[in-house]
Amino acid sequence: MAIYDRRRRTNATYLALCYMAAIFGLSWLVVILATLFWQGMQGMSLAVFTQMTPPPGADGGLLNAIVGSLIMTILGVVIGTPLGMLAGTYMAEYGRYTKLTFVVRFINDILLSAPSIIVGLFVYEIMVARMGHFSGIAGAVALAVIVVPVVVRTTEDMLLLVPGPLREAASALGLPRNLVIGKVAYRAARAGLITGVLLAIARVSGETAPLLFTALNNQFFSTNLNAPMSSLPAVIFQFALSPYKEWQQLAWAGALIITFAVLALSIVARVLGAQRTAK
Amino acid sequence: MKELQIVSQEQEVQDSNDAREASIGGGAEAVVSQVADGGASIANPAASQATAPTENRDTAKDPAMTVIKQVPNLPQKVAIRDLNFFYGDSLALKNINLPLYANKVTSFIGPSGCGKSTLLRVLNRMYDLYPKQRAEGEVLLDGHNILKPDQDLNLLRARVGMVFQKPTPFPMSIYDNIAFGIRLYEKVNKAELDERVETALKGAALWGEVKDQLKASGLSLSGGQQQRLCIARTVAIHPEVILLDEPCSALDPISTAKIEELIDELKANYTIAIVTHNMQQAARVSEYTAFMYLGELIEFGNTAHMFTAPEQKRTQNYITGRFG
Repeated sequence: MAIYDRRRRTNATYLALCYMAAIFGLSWLVVILATLFWQGMQGMSLAVFTQMTPPPGADGGLLNAIVGSLIMTILGVVIGTPLGMLAGTYMAEYGRYTKLTFVVRFINDILLSAPSIIVGLFVYEIMVARMGHFSGIAGAVALAVIVVPVVVRTTEDMLLLVPGPLREAASALGLPRNLVIGKVAYRAARAGLITGVLLAIARVSGETAPLLFTALNNQFFSTNLNAPMSSLPAVIFQFALSPYKEWQQLAWAGALIITFAVLALSIVARVLGAQRTAK
Repeated sequence: MKELQIVSQEQEVQDSNDAREASIGGGAEAVVSQVADGGASIANPAASQATAPTENRDTAKDPAMTVIKQVPNLPQKVAIRDLNFFYGDSLALKNINLPLYANKVTSFIGPSGCGKSTLLRVLNRMYDLYPKQRAEGEVLLDGHNILKPDQDLNLLRARVGMVFQKPTPFPMSIYDNIAFGIRLYEKVNKAELDERVETALKGAALWGEVKDQLKASGLSLSGGQQQRLCIARTVAIHPEVILLDEPCSALDPISTAKIEELIDELKANYTIAIVTHNMQQAARVSEYTAFMYLGELIEFGNTAHMFTAPEQKRTQNYITGRFG
């Protein structure tokens, strides 16, 4: 029994260490969220959603930044998702056994973990420098470049999870390849594919670095894609670094808005994912 | 090629008196003509030379020979000739010669890995989905070689339906699972489509259980129901041949019994090939049985005869459970 007792003691010790590590990690998250919530709520008001970013010392809101963020995020996802889906579909369906897929997957993984500031510099070089000015469209393209690898990865992974016999069964009915993919494989992987896109949205909605080099910022309300465009992350960056109390307050409010938007998206993604496994 | 011996069997010809006449009277001719056609009945010429003059008891002692007993004078829906199949470099099927008679059930038995499923997957060229798999030889469907490169695979698969080991309902409603395949090749209006779906579900003995929940997901059904849905889906597009790859291996005995009944009804309209590990099932549902071992066709013949008096020692050993 001595061995067994020792085993129990060891188990208890390690279990305690595991709990402590988990609590340590989680507590920081709670502190961050609590601080954000506390500071953010103080600056939260209707004006945040209805007024433009103010000059120093005046009252104002974040409307132009919120709208700018929405426009560029949506546009970036609209550009990036089809590209990523098509590439992922090729890799999982048509080119599953080809060398090209192997190479693309490898490069995609690098792109997936590339620092986003490099993406910003890249788009600066190919768009901003040539157009001669910062623009909303350049910001959207920069975000699209970040969306693509995420969507490629999830699309491929989700399609690979679709069981082979299901594809065979569809082929056995005489379905051509495109319908096997479009009507059967996509449907079977639908929840996963949507989750992938939502995760990509969550990822880009907090990106600052690519936007600083491309869309820059705009103090005024603008939906002109050919002109500099405001965005929440850029405004937070600018306002948080400023010495003005009102700006700092708005930066907190903006951070809270982004965080909750991303949190909501993640929860939706999780719920969809859970539905998939439940089936 | 010399004359072949014919094992006269009552079971072969009990279908009708006409068939009996044909089998006894013209049986030898039929066999010889088939040999002239391309040797469907004898796989190994050397063995046939050695055994041709002797009685059929002696062939039982020759393990190298594929015994094809009693080739009745029945129309062959599918004729497999000198078929070799490769997974990459490895030879998975060796020189298979086999008929599938029209409107009969042929079962493929043999231990795991013997090539039964591979053979089935050649018949609708399912292997074409994967690289490095290839077939040599001929598979004649109504006399046309479907292994030719210019064969349209989608049309072929619409004619040769397949049901898989695990139920594979599509992620859509029960109704759409069936309507999907029909819409693919035919323009039908709503009323016709409803009727076709109903007929298919009735044909698969599933209508009574699902008629009030046609809009429910196909995935919500039980395993046995899902498998019958898959059969209904296959039948709905009116194929000519149905391939069943261990259709009952994931099912409980009651569902299995329902599917076996179904197979019995389906053979009136379809030529059926079934792979099974369950020898009682092969005995129950099929008229002809092919025993395969290590990629070779060891014995093919009338099911009742094969299970009571197999010609080959290996067949006997497998059937009696001594190996496999």
